Amino acid sequence: MPGPIWVHGELTPDGSLAKISTEVATLARDVGATSKRDVVGVIVGSDPKGAATELARYVPRVLAITEPATADHAAATIVGERLAELIEREQPDYVFTGAGPEGRDVAGVVGALTGWGVLVNAIAVRWEDGPVVDMSVFGGKLTTTSRFAGERGIVTVRPNVVTAEPASATGKVEAAAVSGALKLPLVKVVDRIAADDVAAPIEEARIIVSGGRGVGGPDGFGVVQELAAALGGAVGATRAAVDAGWIPYAQQIGQTGKIVKPALYLALGISGAIQHKVGMQTADTIVAVNRDPDAPIAEFADLFVVGDLFEVAPAILAELRARAG
Amino acid sequence: MRIVVLVKPVPDTASSGERLRPDDWRLDRAAVPAVVNANDEYALEAALKLTEAHGGEVVLLSMAPPSAPETMRKALAMGAASGMLVTDPALGGADVPTTVGVLSAALRDMEYDLLLAGADTSDGGGGVVPAGVAAQLGLPYLSYAAKIEPDEAARTVRVRRISPTGFDVLEAPMPALVVCTQALGEPRYPSLKGIMSARGKELTTKALGDVAGAEAGAPTTAVLAATAPPPRAATRVIRGPADEAAREVVAFLVERRIV
Amino acid sequence: MASSSPAPEPRPSPTYRLTEDQAALRDAVRILADERIAPRAAEIDRTAEFPWDVKELLASHDILGLPFSEAYGGLGGELLTVCLAIEQISRACATSGLILAVQELGSLPLILAGSDEQRQRWFPDLAAGKTLIAFALTEAEAGSDVAAARTRARRDGDDWVLDGAKRFISQGSVADLITVFAATNEDPETPRHDRLTCFVVEKDMAGFNVERIEHKMGIRGSPTAELSFRGVRVPDANRVGDEGEGFAIAMRTLDRSRPAIAAQAVGIAQGALEVAAAYARDRKQFGKPIAEFQMIAAMLADMDAQTEAARQLLYKACVEIDAGAPDAGRWSAMCKLVAGDTAMRVTTDAVQVLGGYGYIDEFPVERMMRDAKITQLYEGTQQIQRLVIARALTARA
Repeated sequence: MPGPIWVHGELTPDGSLAKISTEVATLARDVGATSKRDVVGVIVGSDPKGAATELARYVPRVLAITEPATADHAAATIVGERLAELIEREQPDYVFTGAGPEGRDVAGVVGALTGWGVLVNAIAVRWEDGPVVDMSVFGGKLTTTSRFAGERGIVTVRPNVVTAEPASATGKVEAAAVSGALKLPLVKVVDRIAADDVAAPIEEARIIVSGGRGVGGPDGFGVVQELAAALGGAVGATRAAVDAGWIPYAQQIGQTGKIVKPALYLALGISGAIQHKVGMQTADTIVAVNRDPDAPIAEFADLFVVGDLFEVAPAILAELRARAG
Repeated sequence: MRIVVLVKPVPDTASSGERLRPDDWRLDRAAVPAVVNANDEYALEAALKLTEAHGGEVVLLSMAPPSAPETMRKALAMGAASGMLVTDPALGGADVPTTVGVLSAALRDMEYDLLLAGADTSDGGGGVVPAGVAAQLGLPYLSYAAKIEPDEAARTVRVRRISPTGFDVLEAPMPALVVCTQALGEPRYPSLKGIMSARGKELTTKALGDVAGAEAGAPTTAVLAATAPPPRAATRVIRGPADEAAREVVAFLVERRIV
Repeated sequence: MASSSPAPEPRPSPTYRLTEDQAALRDAVRILADERIAPRAAEIDRTAEFPWDVKELLASHDILGLPFSEAYGGLGGELLTVCLAIEQISRACATSGLILAVQELGSLPLILAGSDEQRQRWFPDLAAGKTLIAFALTEAEAGSDVAAARTRARRDGDDWVLDGAKRFISQGSVADLITVFAATNEDPETPRHDRLTCFVVEKDMAGFNVERIEHKMGIRGSPTAELSFRGVRVPDANRVGDEGEGFAIAMRTLDRSRPAIAAQAVGIAQGALEVAAAYARDRKQFGKPIAEFQMIAAMLADMDAQTEAARQLLYKACVEIDAGAPDAGRWSAMCKLVAGDTAMRVTTDAVQVLGGYGYIDEFPVERMMRDAKITQLYEGTQQIQRLVIARALTARA
């Protein structure tokens, strides 16, 4: 009897459903429809009901497992262990999760406990007698297509490759229990520090306005932020800007930062060196502003404006406001 | 302190010759010069800083092709004391379960207070291996560290973990596995003395059979094809006064339904 | 008694490839130069300030230890390795390359003729890059004509008292130690070449002054100083080699320091070549990259071939000189002659390839062309190099 496809619902620090899980759920639902497999959401948390209710807007059935230990311990190991126990009991065939930090940690633990294979960083999943997963590698230079050798596996899905769409009917939430002592070592959370300038995870943003060396300093990022706000997007940066201390590392895009695939990547004062390029070149639309007509980014941008970002960005802002007003 | 750092040689992203072998879609690792995975360098730097502060030594562990020693020499030149490489033709194209299994088996024979790993690898790694290794070895798992503070007397380690809202401060007994981020600090350039002494440092090579409990399991995944992504349309270049450029940009965004 | 450097070990057989260690060192210096020095090069030229940060960078990565033997905390002192490093640094910034070249130049009299006590006293800090050393031979009236030096050293008890002035001394204003060549014998019967003696002057010695710093065409970040000595009391323990041995020490020094300048020149040429080649590939005129036009392609080809030829001659010269070749002077002069002229030609052509863009400071080639010129002038002008070579040739004929 073919097993269902599970969607692991990830939680944000305040206990609500992570945006990426709504995308993964939408993807799983599409794959479920083609494969005629059931799709079930699974959430493990200290207070999972709210997130489970939200996830139920996307899939017909959600298992909500209350696990108090996640309240003050590092969650991924606990969630992974409980998921593995549930997998043993409920026998799904596939588990889809997000490819961000939280999702990949869980995928790693579940993979080790079940022995299942893992296909990572999916940018597309279709069904052909099993999931067929596309993955973008080498900074976007190649796309590989892979499948599982057997009939089970874990897929981690990149943010922004699917637009989240609630199902036509809301699903049911079922409380599920997993008991028994946790065997993997627990890591205590002794403190949580809120940072003042934390933005939403940048990999999830649909629009990213990014600043590079050309921005010149932390004050220069003001116009980057304004433009991002006007477009409803997130602020990104190159390594040069982060190293110079103009913007936090969480917003760094590139080989040693985040890989993003937004609908729009607007690059201000960014040359487009390879280490940055691999982080953003698969964006749907790339617009760049740079004083240097020979900047490498001119070669792969869709639209390249030769100009001073401190003139062009405010002009774009003015134009946007004129249209809105 | 004894710290083991997981390192992986990967193709140098800055070169453009990465390719997959057409017969089995495995990465042709001979095609391009290999460098230490960028994220692993941060882990290595963190390890070196810790042993400089607390005394002790840093040991590298890698599962990689036979050409790996040259890349590992670069990591040794940064200051690691020695390295272990597990290499075997049977491990070519190893999937996640095999990689986790082999690394865990190798680590069972090693002693360490901390096991550090980079967040993911630039050659297609999805950052799932460290969590798997921790689960298999029963090690406390602390990921996305921006700061690592061991307390040797208490045999615990405190880690500042980057979270979506700021930082979580985690604490766990040692030995523990910590996944490192760039926030830990820029990797050092090897000094010339480091480069010259790297040659004399011990780099042990082990085949699969030499590592108790390690095996190359049947592959759980298979690559079917590799294609270049569709080329982007030619770039449209706009010059001229800023206000005209801005009008064209916004019109373009409207046309693409982004605004 | 001065001891000369120990006889080098016999090399097994000629090899025309770098060893793994040499290649690893070269690559490490290249990465450092590309990532940390190149971004500073334009600013160093514009502000004409000595780049202490680059000096610290070189010191902390053991690069300034290259000229010194391991006994003093250095990395062995092999000439080829020193030159590999200078070449890579100079690719990015000629001023920065000179920091290592001058550290070697100033130390050579001590390496060749210093006592163990002197080396023990000064080399550890020099190898660690904690102190800098300069070489003061040239005077206003004694450039090519070295033996005409008029700075005097007069014996007074256990000391020598120095009076005079030196001109065009690279890094003379930032050095902690200066190897100075002074006339200790003014007897007209004494042959010209036996009149000079070498001393180490320490910068805090009374009577030693930096009179001025020159404003130069190129290598603008490297301070070129006029130094004056007014009754500077130097202990005999600071005398290097025998009285009257100074000229010979200077000539043997130049045999080993000229390759360093050749390395700087090869580096400058290579840097300019890379900029020109990248530009020619990206710049499109008349519908195609200018690299596809034959006149440009021919220029680039000649630039590459000539730079490579200069490089190979340099590497060979280093190996010969380190092996104790009796014609070290010829090798030294040849590699410096060819490299200097090549650097000038290649950088000029690089500006040409870039056209108008080559003339403005948005691109580094105009700086590289200005930097290249000095390699035809210092450590012996090209004309002096030719004299050395011609004399060696006709002596053999």
